[in-house]
Amino acid sequence: MRAVSKVKQHSIARKSLRRTLFFIVLILLAGSTFDAYNQAQLALVLILFIGVLSVTLLTGISGQLSLGQGALMAVGGYCMALLITNKGYSIWVAIPLAIVGAAIAGLLLGISAARLSGPYLAGTTLVIALAIPTLSNRFMSVLKGDEGLPVDVGYPPNWFTKLFGEPSYEQWQLYVALPFAAIALFFASNILLSRTGRMWRAIRDNETAASLSGVNFSRQKIFVFVVSATFAGLSGALYGLRGLVGPSVYPVSLSLTLLTAAVLGGIRSIFGAFIGTVIVVFLPDWIEAVLGSFELSEQVSNFMPALISSLLLILTVVINPAGVAGTHLHKHK
Amino acid sequence: METFLAALFSGTSRGAIYALVALGLVIVWRGAGIVNFAQMGQAMFSTYIASTMITNGYSYWLGFIVAILVGAAMGALLDILVMRPLSNKKKTELLSSDSMRAAVPVIASLGILGVLQALAGIIWAAEERGFPAPYPQEGFTVANNVMPFTSFDVFVISIVLATLLATTLFFKKTGVGLAMRATALNAEVARLSGIRTNFTRSLSWGFSGAASSLAGLLITPTSNLSPNTLDLVLIIGFTAAVVGGLDSPAGSVIGGFLVGMVISFVSFYDTPEDVFLSILSVLLLVLIIRPRGIFGAKDARRV
Amino acid sequence: MLEVKDLVTSFGSVVALDGISFTAHESKITTVIGANGAGKSTLLRTISGLEHPSTGSITWRGKSVIGMRPEDIVRAGIAHVPEGHAVISELSVEENMSMGSLFRRRKFKSDVAAAQDEMYELFPRLKERRKQLAGTLSGGERQMLAISRALVSRPQLLLLDEPSLGLAPLVVEQIIDSINILCRSTGLTVLLVEQNANTALGVADHGVLLALGKVVADRPAAELKADANLRAAYLGY
Repeated sequence: MRAVSKVKQHSIARKSLRRTLFFIVLILLAGSTFDAYNQAQLALVLILFIGVLSVTLLTGISGQLSLGQGALMAVGGYCMALLITNKGYSIWVAIPLAIVGAAIAGLLLGISAARLSGPYLAGTTLVIALAIPTLSNRFMSVLKGDEGLPVDVGYPPNWFTKLFGEPSYEQWQLYVALPFAAIALFFASNILLSRTGRMWRAIRDNETAASLSGVNFSRQKIFVFVVSATFAGLSGALYGLRGLVGPSVYPVSLSLTLLTAAVLGGIRSIFGAFIGTVIVVFLPDWIEAVLGSFELSEQVSNFMPALISSLLLILTVVINPAGVAGTHLHKHK
Repeated sequence: METFLAALFSGTSRGAIYALVALGLVIVWRGAGIVNFAQMGQAMFSTYIASTMITNGYSYWLGFIVAILVGAAMGALLDILVMRPLSNKKKTELLSSDSMRAAVPVIASLGILGVLQALAGIIWAAEERGFPAPYPQEGFTVANNVMPFTSFDVFVISIVLATLLATTLFFKKTGVGLAMRATALNAEVARLSGIRTNFTRSLSWGFSGAASSLAGLLITPTSNLSPNTLDLVLIIGFTAAVVGGLDSPAGSVIGGFLVGMVISFVSFYDTPEDVFLSILSVLLLVLIIRPRGIFGAKDARRV
Repeated sequence: MLEVKDLVTSFGSVVALDGISFTAHESKITTVIGANGAGKSTLLRTISGLEHPSTGSITWRGKSVIGMRPEDIVRAGIAHVPEGHAVISELSVEENMSMGSLFRRRKFKSDVAAAQDEMYELFPRLKERRKQLAGTLSGGERQMLAISRALVSRPQLLLLDEPSLGLAPLVVEQIIDSINILCRSTGLTVLLVEQNANTALGVADHGVLLALGKVVADRPAAELKADANLRAAYLGY
């Protein structure tokens, strides 16, 4: 028995590894053809993709709707920024520690949310998403209030420039985000394919049956929150590295953006999470490309992306709840 | 003492508005099993319509009435266009589990909120604007002291109490009210009694839309109007509804006043910045000690 | 006359009704009996529009009811009392009862009160408790209330699902008797689903025996009651 499951685990890991390598090659190819602006956009896709994966795992796979993922991102961002500005750590040390910080926040959130479900959970996490950023004013001396803590990706180390030449700032953003996104993808894929993923789906589909079949479901629910928080924390840390960690960087709308991306792409699949993130990030550019010739006022063009993505969100849930990746879904639901 | 009175009065008048918001949420929750996160987006939109009418020279009261009617129509329309088609999709694989059935309407309501806020931004621009009050917002003077209570506060409290009374009578005494309650409590038995539940459910949405539009009209004179201003009110209303029990209309009203008091005392004695944290603490406290709310039915788990 | 022909209703891959055909005649009591899981409740739920058949036809007085919504089927004169004393516990007895005639309150204003009074006459215990919440009633009283709620809609066809479920024999007798009297005096057509075959066949004119979603016998009730072989094979006594 044990031997069989070990073989299976290897094949799952191999499958995830193949996906991840394919992903890395795809991003590098795309990155090399893009101009500087789109390279920065692609870096943003990678960063948010990690955050969207946290929604896919939490909501799509285990059925718990949280609107507070942006708050977990803020926790990751602040942890990292404090370690960098106060302790002088490099981002390569600060980011893993920030993930741990977010995981602890996820644990606390999970413990208080384990008994909540449906709209109760959604509403409570929404309040959390609103309340957490106000902490920055409460602890002004450390968290610096509305001004926030400026951080950035810095410059590539010497060995990197020696090997690959001097990257532009946008390229460097992309190269920093890529390994993290690849690791996140690898882990998410492994979880989805493994026994853990099956267990989470069982919780989603029927709590009573899952607990009867021996799944300790409240412990599993908390565990899902912790795992999801590590993804959100990582995403939030990288998101802050774009220049600033502050309350305005992690508004409630960030949580909603993650949810929108996850739903548009297909809330149950990793592929969907990626597609959804691409849509959300590039939508403003596409809208401008289409509407640019119409000379719309700033007022209209500012709100166009929000209008279109919200409309797409409604249409998706009403007409095609499985999202863009819906057809992909059937292979491993 | 003066601070205490000021906090008490402001808590009562704010609490009355939160009670209205909570009632709107509870009625849709009972009628359709959905917490409508777009509710205050609808209120924001109809308040903008009133604001536009008033700045174009129409009377305050005409704008007031039109806003409430628009709120009601919008609520019913959202049910017909979005929520009803969604509930007819229950058999699809993605919606087969209870947890997703509860989550998907919430996602849809967030989409509606996004659409309404973007539309408001496009139509009315994003900068804040004021919204008039029909009665003066200066405190009464008693023996040369300015009291922390205004004639607008009196107006707010009396119109909310009148609305609550009318609502109670409507639900208790009329056939339509009975049909709406029956639909909310047990849709299958209601249908088998010949009640057109689709219709009564849309009525609930319309009622909730009207109530929250009224709340929007009453709260914007003391804050300001922008596409996002009422988000906070929704959160407070949700907390009030959970405190009172999502299943209990009467509880939601009491929850509204309670939360209004908490917020008022926190902002008078501590700092307004702690309002979010105090709401969160109240919410978590209730959910941990009494998850069904103070007045919620013990076994009313509908999720 | 209610005519059911080749009716098939399934839930996913489970076929609950597998080609059912029978007729229930006007002003008669037809009973549908069978073991647990034979498809009896599904049959009633399909007739009243709560479940949707995949094929087959249901006609009442020559008009098809397939595709109609449950609330419109009630309005067409078919009232369904579902299994399990279906009343709304949070509403009062009076409210539960008047629920059934809400749709008639404009057109037949004077008759609405009369219909309710008749019910209070038929079940005097309900009159005593009209202001009480239905949740405080005993099982038998709830069943009476559920039947009253159906009858105040003035149906021509009454679908009754296991009225005896969980009730004391004496109460069952009282309820079945009331139904019998009502049918004989007003010409109401009754389709009675029962697991308690003896009681049902005792009062019915005609009996339909279901097993695993199929009709295995369709005969006068007295004949069915006398057939010891069928009883032993399908009802187990």
